[in-house]
Amino acid sequence: MDSVLTQLAGFGAAFANLASDPATYVYLVASVFLGIVFGALPGLTATLAVTILTGFFGNKIPLEQSLIALIGAYVGAIYGGSYPSILLNIPGTAASAATAMDGHPLARQGKGGEALGLTTTASFIGTIFGTIFLLLFVWLLLAISRNITSPEKCLLALFGVLLSGTLMSEDLALKGWISGLIGLSMAMVGLDPILSETRFTFGWSYLMSGFQVVPVLMGAFAIPQIVDGMRATLLAPEPPPVGRITPSLREIGRRLPTIGRSGVIGTGIGALPGVGEDVAGWVSYGVGKAASREGHLFGKGSRDGLISAEAANNAAIGGALIPLLVLGIPGSPPAAALLGALKINNVIPGPTIDPGLILHIVAILVMASLTMMLMGLLTARVFILVLRIPRTVFLPIVLVLTTIGSFSVGGGINDLYLMLGVGAVATLMGIMHYPIAPLVIGVILGGLFDETFRRTLLVSDGDLSVFVTRPGACILLVLNVALILSQVGIVKRGFGRLMGRSA
Amino acid sequence: MTTEEKQVLRARDFWTSIALIAAALFFLWKTSSIPFFNTANAGVRSADWFNSAALVPFALFGALLLCGIGLLVIAIREGGATRALKAAGIGVDRAELARLGALAIILLSYIGALVPRVDFIISSALLITALFWGFHRGAAARRWIAVSGIAAAALYAVILHGPQAEWRAGDDDWVALGAWAILTVLMLADARRWPEGRRLAPIVAVLSAIVPFLLVSAMAFGFSQNVPARSGVLFSHIEVAYYTQFRPWWREMTSGDGD
Repeated sequence: MDSVLTQLAGFGAAFANLASDPATYVYLVASVFLGIVFGALPGLTATLAVTILTGFFGNKIPLEQSLIALIGAYVGAIYGGSYPSILLNIPGTAASAATAMDGHPLARQGKGGEALGLTTTASFIGTIFGTIFLLLFVWLLLAISRNITSPEKCLLALFGVLLSGTLMSEDLALKGWISGLIGLSMAMVGLDPILSETRFTFGWSYLMSGFQVVPVLMGAFAIPQIVDGMRATLLAPEPPPVGRITPSLREIGRRLPTIGRSGVIGTGIGALPGVGEDVAGWVSYGVGKAASREGHLFGKGSRDGLISAEAANNAAIGGALIPLLVLGIPGSPPAAALLGALKINNVIPGPTIDPGLILHIVAILVMASLTMMLMGLLTARVFILVLRIPRTVFLPIVLVLTTIGSFSVGGGINDLYLMLGVGAVATLMGIMHYPIAPLVIGVILGGLFDETFRRTLLVSDGDLSVFVTRPGACILLVLNVALILSQVGIVKRGFGRLMGRSA
Repeated sequence: MTTEEKQVLRARDFWTSIALIAAALFFLWKTSSIPFFNTANAGVRSADWFNSAALVPFALFGALLLCGIGLLVIAIREGGATRALKAAGIGVDRAELARLGALAIILLSYIGALVPRVDFIISSALLITALFWGFHRGAAARRWIAVSGIAAAALYAVILHGPQAEWRAGDDDWVALGAWAILTVLMLADARRWPEGRRLAPIVAVLSAIVPFLLVSAMAFGFSQNVPARSGVLFSHIEVAYYTQFRPWWREMTSGDGD
């Protein structure tokens, strides 16, 4: 009880500190607005919003302020995706794809304003839900993480890449793993972390320090979006008329159990390494359909369906930050971009992270969600207007933003060449239905994996049994093996037969 | 995904798995040059196999090789190999290839040639105009004129000022400025014919100049960061004006002893 009170007191101090600084409001209003615009424009994503702002603010202003901009954009973009989903039946982001299932039918029934009001409130409560979980669990997990040493860390990094590859792949899980392995391999470039041996630099001195995170993020997330989006564009259809956008408190009160369930699902899935808001939205929607009394109305304009998707994808934000802060393993692709910002500021997440920074992040999340709700209720008409901007107008501007952001991080023109190269590979992979997020997570976790795996063997003098004799490592090893086997056809069939026989 | 789309994908998977196997084998061969079992340098043993810098790359490229073989098996089993040798089998769409080719030329011209050598405001204005006008309505003729405009400026910059020592030359800035002016005039003239063109084209023309100007100024003067092509014909003037006129005036204003 004492520790909970101490955390609340710490959070109160961090919140007061943040709220009393006028600069907070400048960054917050601008970044949440920009985030909602990015989310609302189909073709731009939350990951791209955070990535571009990482290039812009990552190492140019104090970290405390750049985090306001990045988290504000993250929260805003996840929410902003609901506008085109509801009004045009075009998901603004992958995270809001499930929102369209019931949001658009509601808009067609002339209840667009009500749908947007519900979405805004559900997103706000969802974000707060995830933030509370973050505040409560991060300390517990940080305490546990003090016992996590090299064997567990390397298996966790591998699990993050494999899990992300399995869940993010829309075709074969094998393709997700290949994407993750390519990312891990890319992280092998440069001087190795233990012996400083040069690897795969092909004589290019720029590569001695390895692939820089920001150009890789920009190349992987921005270039494929731009290439895919630059097509013949007609103006977006006129959105249906939207009435007053107000949150119906009675309606929200009635649906608190749905919001609570979706919040738990969203936070839990967000906390899985490398699995983001889009999976959270769909899983929560699926569970909601089975659990809700109005499950038969899902897909036809159910308010429960709408809330299930929206509360979960916003709750996933807080969840995604848990593994990021505790272990340095991003819980979602936008969290990977956030990790990039922490890295270029030399902040190493994990047991040694400054507790003040965690409280600062929690306070930013609360303020960003409040700003998001106020903007959603008061300036929604502006975001509805934004829906009419053609992709051919905003995507070239995004390319210019990406270019100058990537250039200014430090590597200059070489970073741009790297961005272009990664962008070409990511575009081809996208065409072949390979997920891109595992690649980026692989690049980010590759160094950790390499270092901790070899350090484990160095300490055990080459004895591989250390991965089995340590309970934590053994559990993670079993999870990794089970995850791989679960996707192997012969094992799948055998398991299915076994289940059939036991039934 | 329809059955036909899946078959096309498997035919493509057939080729990508072969490329993946080749890449994995190449990098396994490259990894073999990193000391693994024999880690003695000048007679001093520096490391064992288990902390060799080659250990993890061997594992990763080995895993990639296995995954590549796995993908090849899936592609063959699902009929990918039988379709893989026909253009239609791998779903070659000439219009899509042309679109991707045009985009590749524009991106290479902008990032590979113009950004390092040409004023950022001019090169970005040219890029925005070329992308909007070339792709908004999807007409091939318009797209290739836009590609030619940006590629011509890029070729001029690369051919005449290839080495880094020559990147500060200013004539390529004027060529790019000319290309932007021509594309803008063509866009404004052509846009009268589309329903939304009259409204959008002038906005894009203005945005193409203002957005890069604001971005490069914010980055250079707001965040004090390095920006591409500082000696560019427009940026160098802006920089001089900022340091000799705007900044002293601003300091005078904010210090309060302006009289």
